[in-house]
Amino acid sequence: MKRVVSVSLGSSRRDHRVEVELLGELFEISRRGTDGDFERAVRLLQELDGKVDAIGLGGIDVYLYAGKTRYVVQDGLKLMQAVRHTPVVDGSGLKNTLERETVYYLREHTDFLAPGTKVLMVSAVDRFGMAEALSELGCDLTFGDLIFSAGIPYPIRSMQELEELARKILPEMVKLPFHMLYPTGKKQETQDEEKVRKFGHFYQEAQVIAGDFHLMRRYMPRLNGQVIITNTTTPEDVAFLKEKGAGYLVTTTPEFAGRSFGTNVIEAVLVTILQKPWEEITPEEYLECLKRLDFKPRLVPLQ
Amino acid sequence: MATHEEITASLLAFQESYNKNERLKQMNRDWDRVILIEASDIPSRHTLELRGGELSVREGAPPRPDLVVIADSETLTDLFYGDITPTEPYMNGTLKIIGSEDDIVRLDFISLMIWGE
Repeated sequence: MKRVVSVSLGSSRRDHRVEVELLGELFEISRRGTDGDFERAVRLLQELDGKVDAIGLGGIDVYLYAGKTRYVVQDGLKLMQAVRHTPVVDGSGLKNTLERETVYYLREHTDFLAPGTKVLMVSAVDRFGMAEALSELGCDLTFGDLIFSAGIPYPIRSMQELEELARKILPEMVKLPFHMLYPTGKKQETQDEEKVRKFGHFYQEAQVIAGDFHLMRRYMPRLNGQVIITNTTTPEDVAFLKEKGAGYLVTTTPEFAGRSFGTNVIEAVLVTILQKPWEEITPEEYLECLKRLDFKPRLVPLQ
Repeated sequence: MATHEEITASLLAFQESYNKNERLKQMNRDWDRVILIEASDIPSRHTLELRGGELSVREGAPPRPDLVVIADSETLTDLFYGDITPTEPYMNGTLKIIGSEDDIVRLDFISLMIWGE
């Protein structure tokens, strides 16, 4: 049996373990949260190093992209460097392939993303492939990177402006402790009520809300039938979205035992299947492997 | 070591660059804050005030600052002239910022918007 473990800075309340057969091979996939405790995550990674087939890093990004430029999150890199023997991935390699494909899949199979559809991406630099694909389809985009990561009520409306601001800000921002920019640990279980009131209108004005689920959840107001495109959702998260009034949930990663896993987990699985260092895997190889696995986005009506 | 006058000049340069940046003013319309800038090695205090997106600078300390920025005079001068970014001195403890985490991120952001790239 292959063992894949996701070590997350997120809440340990979301921990789980499943066994699943993929391409004739049995996988044990588990997720272990460290409640925002960075040192605990480092120790856990060191413990697992050399004992499992692949490790995913959850609740943190190592690589952010804007255009052709890659920005390295220093805290993420420290976690990655704690592992010396086992392949370790943050999901960013796969996001570029899988999430673009999700957008194209939705264009082919639904009417969610017609040209002019108002889409709020709560953050785009962690999902640049999805942002580019949505832009290609002619969606009316609002990128919430400044709003939800820096508290600045300034919607970014174009890919050009996103790249321009990223060039100015990201080389330095990536040096800050990650918890200053993204909800980790217990913050993933609560909402920031002040910001829900202040920024909720950006959600309510959109028809589709896309991006990182924890960021999305933390500032989500009452909705009116919006389509949610995300992943890493639990049955409790689905209930939360129903209660908020979301119309549909689209998850970009497959569901195993009621959970849509993070891209870091799926990337770790693919790295195990492909048996290549992640730096050498091309988008085409990921795509071909995803086809063999028959992974498709999951559409769940919520109302 | 920089002088009080040099810190004043750097803050005025920062103010001028900020107030020329219409997008930055628009971004900060909701963020009214009084910031104390204090040198740790010489007697020098200044007040930065953001109100309705406009930035003003004056000598002396405010009665009730929302944020306090403390560093040696050289670091403050380098910072407000844009010769260094705030992130590294903040991370290595040369620059201390007392305030909420959200406000610290925002102050860092303003500096990067002015001097970034």
